[in-house]
Amino acid sequence: MPALAVATIVLGTMLTTFGISFDIQWHDDVGPDTFFTLSHLMLYAGSALEGLASLAMVLLTTARQRRGDAAPAFAGGPPVRVLGARFTAPLGYLVAGVGAALFLMFGALDLAWHSVYGFDAVLNSPPHIALFLSITLTMVGSIIVCAAASTRWWGRVGIVLGAIVLMAFAPLTARAFDGLPLPFDTRVAGTCFATVTTLIVLGAVLKRSGSMLALAAAFGMLQAILWPWSTWAAHAYADSSGLPLRDGLTGEPPSLPSSLPLFVVVAALCLELAFAVARQRRLGQTTAFMLGGSAAGIVVSVTLLLQTVLFDPTESILTDQYISAGITGLVLGAVSGFLGARLAVLLTMPQAATAGRRVSSSRTVLSTGVTS
Amino acid sequence: VTASARRPWRRRLAAAVSLGLLTGSGAVVASPANAYELVGVVHTENVAAGPYDLTVGFSVWPVRAMQSLDITFSPEGGIADKTGTLAVVGVGADPDLTGPLARHPRKLEVWGLDVIAISAPGTYSLDFVIDGEEGRGAGSLPELTVLAQPGPPLALSWAVCALPFVALVALIGVAWGRVRPSRYRLDL
Repeated sequence: MPALAVATIVLGTMLTTFGISFDIQWHDDVGPDTFFTLSHLMLYAGSALEGLASLAMVLLTTARQRRGDAAPAFAGGPPVRVLGARFTAPLGYLVAGVGAALFLMFGALDLAWHSVYGFDAVLNSPPHIALFLSITLTMVGSIIVCAAASTRWWGRVGIVLGAIVLMAFAPLTARAFDGLPLPFDTRVAGTCFATVTTLIVLGAVLKRSGSMLALAAAFGMLQAILWPWSTWAAHAYADSSGLPLRDGLTGEPPSLPSSLPLFVVVAALCLELAFAVARQRRLGQTTAFMLGGSAAGIVVSVTLLLQTVLFDPTESILTDQYISAGITGLVLGAVSGFLGARLAVLLTMPQAATAGRRVSSSRTVLSTGVTS
Repeated sequence: VTASARRPWRRRLAAAVSLGLLTGSGAVVASPANAYELVGVVHTENVAAGPYDLTVGFSVWPVRAMQSLDITFSPEGGIADKTGTLAVVGVGADPDLTGPLARHPRKLEVWGLDVIAISAPGTYSLDFVIDGEEGRGAGSLPELTVLAQPGPPLALSWAVCALPFVALVALIGVAWGRVRPSRYRLDL
């Protein structure tokens, strides 16, 4: 049952990611919008799957707990008593379920928004950003679920799939800052932070040398699939609906896939080197992660600007923008390094609890289990 | 009637309802062209672009900041033998709105902007250049007034919609406070 729930929740996050890419491309290339479009259906179905899987696991865990039968920690993470201790929810499913419930709530708010402001003219309206944040929360929940089961093969597969959709989706939330007069590019900042933090957390959870490179390769595969998918789905759906494509389309690359960083493998290589240094204890873990994070951040931020010129030669990026992106990557990469190591500790604590080893001193070493 | 006798009937009903929902939703999803709202023009303005008379139609009037609307551009004699460009000029004008005039996706016989919004109130101008059999003509709708946004203050909307972010930060904060992860070193 835990494996089925993981598969369902990861499938939900995948549906959401493919749905949002399809939907953005539909708006770019075709246009007309209603509530009942196939891309919207994919988005809602993804959240529904995640919500139902989470609800089922909370009810199952509660039933087991009432029978006096403790659920294993790999089934979604440590149990949390909620709603006056009436229910026992595995932490990961609690977070994913709350995200799915917030998605429903803000979906209703989005409808109310439409009644005042009309159909969606922009991607970054407040309710849209709330929907993106809710989905991100669900994806974080799916990572907690999979991390709790990372000793099992399906947990490891789930965590990689969950991480790549999080890396693809989470930067959309940075669109909230579009148009604000900030001294840096918020899209670059969002992409850099989501990419580097996720790589470090996953590298620390999976532990194996090369795991971040594997994650980067999987992210590249997702991008390679989303690329033709988004355009094909929008155009095929327009064709089947009898709607023409917009006039003046010039063969621009699909919006979401082309906004994903292309050079994540290089960033992952920087982080693999930092992890190798930390493993050999040449530097403290935090220092190594922050240095590696900065290098990876610079790679992601600067190449993100470079690839816009690569896809659209008429686009011009000024030297100042590259410098700003480099500084953004340097700073946010260091922050990701600091946070990533600690978030990985939080994610691996359930495993420590399962292993039955105690965490006591300030010099404890955390591993799959914990040794002092 | 016993409970066991009711079950097949209930199953048949459940199956029928499920099938109905599936086919109903499938029909709606499969034929979206029928579901899209037509462009309803509630206000028009006339612009002379050289030798061409152009009717500019608005689906919402007056225009308010952030409120979406369709704008149609209909030259006398149709668009078949003409091309043109549009420039939207003003403090909150999206640069993407400036460019070649394209058919409106839901009203293909005229040019148009499909579900757009002007982000800030103020005075804007719509400037046209049209090429056709009678040569090139330029014209402008010089004073398009965009009123303040409808609805609650934007800060309130953002505060409500930041709730999932607050939930995420609270989750990490609580976990951080309980575990205090800085005390631990990862076994890599």
